[in-house]
Amino acid sequence: MKQMIWILWPSFVVGGIAETIFFTLFDPQDLQIFGVQHEMSRVAIYSIGFFLFWLMAAGSSAFTCFIQRRADAPYRCPLPACDRPLGCPKREEGGT
Amino acid sequence: MAEPAPRQGSAKIIPIKEDVLYEAQKKIYARSVSGIFATWRWIFVWFTQILFYGLCWVEWNGRQAVLFDLVERKFYILGLVFWPQDVFYLAVLLIISALALFLFTAVAGRLFCGYACPQTVYTEIFMWVEKLFEGDRAARMKLDAAPMSARKLGLKSAKHLAWIVIGLWTGFTFVGYFTPIRTLMHEVVSWQLGPWQIFWILFYGFATWGNAGFMREQVCKYMCPYARFQGVMFDPDTLIVTYDTERGEPRGSRSKKSDHKAAGKGDCVDCSICVQVCPVGIDIREGLQYECIGCSACIDACDQVMDKMSYPRGLIRYSTEHALKEHWGAREIVRHIARPRTLLYGSVLSAIVIAAAWALAVRVPLKVDVIRDRAALAREVEGGRIENLFRLQVMNMAEEPRRFALSVTGMDALQIASERIVEVPAATTQSVSVRVRAEPDAGKRGSNRIYFEVRALNHDDVNVREKASFLLP
Ligand code: SF4
Ligand code: SF4
Repeated sequence: MKQMIWILWPSFVVGGIAETIFFTLFDPQDLQIFGVQHEMSRVAIYSIGFFLFWLMAAGSSAFTCFIQRRADAPYRCPLPACDRPLGCPKREEGGT
Repeated sequence: MAEPAPRQGSAKIIPIKEDVLYEAQKKIYARSVSGIFATWRWIFVWFTQILFYGLCWVEWNGRQAVLFDLVERKFYILGLVFWPQDVFYLAVLLIISALALFLFTAVAGRLFCGYACPQTVYTEIFMWVEKLFEGDRAARMKLDAAPMSARKLGLKSAKHLAWIVIGLWTGFTFVGYFTPIRTLMHEVVSWQLGPWQIFWILFYGFATWGNAGFMREQVCKYMCPYARFQGVMFDPDTLIVTYDTERGEPRGSRSKKSDHKAAGKGDCVDCSICVQVCPVGIDIREGLQYECIGCSACIDACDQVMDKMSYPRGLIRYSTEHALKEHWGAREIVRHIARPRTLLYGSVLSAIVIAAAWALAVRVPLKVDVIRDRAALAREVEGGRIENLFRLQVMNMAEEPRRFALSVTGMDALQIASERIVEVPAATTQSVSVRVRAEPDAGKRGSNRIYFEVRALNHDDVNVREKASFLLP
């Protein structure tokens, strides 16, 4: 949940800023896609544009989250020490 | 991060500080409260929401008074029309808002959070609805703990239905600021909404429902950047919601008649009402915490307790760090509002506001872009004269049709050979091609600087000079 917030929320804000700047400078009607004039409405382009910006920023956030994890993360026990089954050596010594 | 509660019987436990996959979130059941500050909070709820839900229906000059028309790429605010080229004003507006926030925060803490932030305002509305259906704190806790029953299902669904209706109306209003709301209403009624409009209404409605119904204080705690950097704007003279430790401690329960001072007790009766009303679930008696949104609910709550006990009010009150330490009265606190930090914020803020107002007042509602015709550089016409072709984008930013006179200067005997008057409808851009002629020996070979002048007929102060270059072979 927290990770989701970390990834989706800052990227939402950045996506919004990028959207504002980009479409202040460029009119969707002047944009060509692969050199072809599109036939989408401005609202459609704005919306799609926003999600693309959001997606890109989310990708960056997710990458940050990913490289921030410790390298041994997949081998660590997700449970807090006191919740581990009785007899688990790591229950007594704690640690991860 | 939440530290795991030590379990009895388990040996030594080292709490894990990182990589807890999610933080177990205790649901907060805020108790409702009434009092001076609660009244103020409601005044602000009404004020901001009448503004938000109502402003989009107000008409001005036969159009929506406030409309950020994305399709036409024009922003209307009362009598003003902004174009994408006016992004400068948007930047200035953002700077003004930020500075105002700094100023308010330095003076009285998180005023914005407590009274005007949409997150707080919608949470307040949603909690009011919740109380309407499920009752106050104790009743809600009981209901949530109870097994599912017909009554519980009914109450919960009624609440969600009301929440969803508010959310949808909010989403509709939001979209109504970006496409004309009357048309939008018409489309809703006749079931003709475009796919993207439906999508954004649902998106915003869903966000309202989720944020005000479920996320609530977590938005303030984990998502809001302002909450994190508020600290840098605080100083010992900032008014904040504080608990008077000196007066309150040692806390403890007592009977109303007993002389608690003789028993060595402070004024706090340890009833924990201040904790129960807190929407972010903190105990203000532990001192200022970054989670506190300055809503003053705890002040109202504690004042009621103090009244009941016949103690003076204000055990929890707005005060400053200095005032608490030095036992200052209200006058002393007010005197310390003017200090270098607030004066600096205040003067920069007023300077920018004045400059922006001045810029707006002298803004010329006309813009011209000159583009050279790239296909034909320069060509010879009758009489040996040289002709260049230009394209002028004339933006009439006024909300009335206007006629403009074109002229050129910068070289001898320069002359416009095409139409010299353009008519541009209200708030539109007209593109005109202009043929300009000069004598072949009027300047040097290559590019020569010339100026286009566009002047509104009957409005002499509305004129623009744009440079261009004239090519001679
Ligand atoms: S501590 Fe008081 S002012 Fe701060 S959020 Fe809680 S109730 Fe509001
Ligand atoms: S409401 Fe006032 S008296 Fe009651 S616990 Fe809080 S500070 Fe103490």
